[in-house]
Amino acid sequence: MIRNLNIILIFTSILMLSGVYALKFSIEHTASERTALAVLINSQEGDLSLLKADWAVLNQPGHIDPIVQRHQIALAIAPVKQEQFGAFANLPMRPAKPNSSAMDSLFESLEAGIDPIDAILELEGIE
Amino acid sequence: MAITSEDVGPTISLDGARKVRGNLTQARIRWMVLAMVLGFGLVGARLVQLGMVETDSTIEGQARDAIQASRPPILDRNGLEMAVDIRVPSLYAEPRRIIDVEEAVRKIRTVLPDLNEKWLRDRLTGDKGFVWVQRELSPSIQERIMRLGIPGIDFITESKRFYPGMTEASHILGSTNIDNQGIAGIERHMDVEDLALLQELGLARGNALTPVELSVDMRVQHVMHEQLLDAMKRYQAIAAAGVMVDVHTGEVIALASVPDFNPNDPKTALVKDTFNRITAGIFEPGSIFKTVTLAGALDSGAVRVTDSFDARFGVRFGRFTITDFHGKNRILSLPEVYKFSSNIGTIRVMQAMGKDNFRAFLSTMGFDKRVQFELPEMRLPTVPKDFSEVGAATASFGHGLSVSPLHMVMAYAAFVNGGNYVPPTLYKRDLADAEALYTRVIKPQTSAEIRYLMRLNAIGTGGSGSQMNRLALGYRVGGKTGTAEKVVDGRYSSSKVTNFFGSAFPLDNPRYAMIIMVDEPKAENPQSGTTAGWNAGTVTGRIVQRVAPMLGIAPDFSEVLDTQLTPPALR
Repeated sequence: MIRNLNIILIFTSILMLSGVYALKFSIEHTASERTALAVLINSQEGDLSLLKADWAVLNQPGHIDPIVQRHQIALAIAPVKQEQFGAFANLPMRPAKPNSSAMDSLFESLEAGIDPIDAILELEGIE
Repeated sequence: MAITSEDVGPTISLDGARKVRGNLTQARIRWMVLAMVLGFGLVGARLVQLGMVETDSTIEGQARDAIQASRPPILDRNGLEMAVDIRVPSLYAEPRRIIDVEEAVRKIRTVLPDLNEKWLRDRLTGDKGFVWVQRELSPSIQERIMRLGIPGIDFITESKRFYPGMTEASHILGSTNIDNQGIAGIERHMDVEDLALLQELGLARGNALTPVELSVDMRVQHVMHEQLLDAMKRYQAIAAAGVMVDVHTGEVIALASVPDFNPNDPKTALVKDTFNRITAGIFEPGSIFKTVTLAGALDSGAVRVTDSFDARFGVRFGRFTITDFHGKNRILSLPEVYKFSSNIGTIRVMQAMGKDNFRAFLSTMGFDKRVQFELPEMRLPTVPKDFSEVGAATASFGHGLSVSPLHMVMAYAAFVNGGNYVPPTLYKRDLADAEALYTRVIKPQTSAEIRYLMRLNAIGTGGSGSQMNRLALGYRVGGKTGTAEKVVDGRYSSSKVTNFFGSAFPLDNPRYAMIIMVDEPKAENPQSGTTAGWNAGTVTGRIVQRVAPMLGIAPDFSEVLDTQLTPPALR
């Protein structure tokens, strides 16, 4: 009776021992994975900080201005002049009454198959 | 074989086998207990010993957390980064774990040949737990050193401050030392506040810190910096500086002083003449101070804008006679006094107000104390406590006292914004917060008259601001020139001058005030002069022309604006 109980106990303890060891090893494995991830995150955060710094440099007015000046001729750009600013107030007002005769002639020519826009495009050299 | 009973000695009693075994077991148990007690005692003692050990978490006297601590990024008012932290590896050694010092020295020097051999050997020898070898290295060097595989050599990731704007906002930002602590500029100010405590506690880690938003606009800052460098070259000046503030909130939009330094390389800040001339430089302001005199006199009611003053003869004080630079030698109206920058006229205006009232007005404007500002680089202005007659006379046109350009720009801001002095700031501040800080220094009516005088000086014939206005047409700029002669060998020199231009725009609804300073300029070409209108004035014009659209100010050429500002009756 006692002998059987002892055998059962021995087997149970061996089982539990192996279980505990298995748990220990799996925890160690998870811990090392976690450490590896933390290291990876850390290094990526480092890389990210460098990329952000890079972007900040590239985005500085002091960095962009010389590039603009270098390509000023090729791109035909120049700093804005005061005369180039417009205001809504400067737009001509809508005519009090539509110009009906001009509208009529436009519709007539369209009906006849002549689109006045073609003539303008041709003049501007746009196909 | 007979056994005699007499011979029988003492009886031999033998213990039974069971008893013998029982005694033996008891002895064994006792030994066992002793062994167990000893064993557990040993374990316990070791535990106590381990508990007593204090682990040294410091790195050469500094908490490891403090070294790895980061600083919050600094952004400009539009969210552009002005200062960021980058993570960099730093090389350290644990000398007590190094096996072969000679080998380690030789190997490290193959990658870092700049290190002194003897210094490195001393560093790696000994029983210390931690020594820095070289801080803030690049990732590629880290890779190469790791490949050497020297035991007792390792890397720690540190935060390093990086300023993407390079020199552009150097005097605003200041710089940090190798331990990432602020040593100048706004960085220093941030530390004084509470960042240092956070770092000490090890809380300032990672990206958790909220960015610090400054009031500076990097686009405007760039234009100002560029124009100041251009001015130094164009006029062969020894220095130039400029500051622009929002007149309603006191926010500093741009602040630059050249020659400057690169905050990424803090030792360049030690070069002579790179100090911040806007806050840490005090100068005789020259004629830009006449605006202050006139504002005080108009506000006191002692003079009216329609009054006239006799500027036919110089003002005599004993042996001295004060005359005008652009002498008109006639009776001048008050606007003419301002426009032609008449010293005589200004003295008469100041005398009408009274020298004690004038001195009191300077105190009201805060000219005799430091401006309340975040930057630690500040100098006390020198303004005499009491004015003598001649002292007050020279002070009225900006000589015999020294103030910083920051004082002047804040005075100009108060004069045009309706008469409220607001302390400047480098942090973002909204109008409601600013209004709580207002102190009224002049009446709104006087402020309107000053705006009129400043605009008149730009558009009136012969006004000293006309060159500036020609460059910034449409932006309604007005201002005052100031050419202060420098003291060379105890006498005022007419060849060495410090030039100022104090301005505000757009004057129909003022938003920004600006002071530009050019130190010891020379004539750009033989046709031009060295007075402030030629250099500080044109620099102002060019800056306004570039930055006004960025600040959302559209040019307006309508006559009615100027007519309202400067009634023709008063011209």
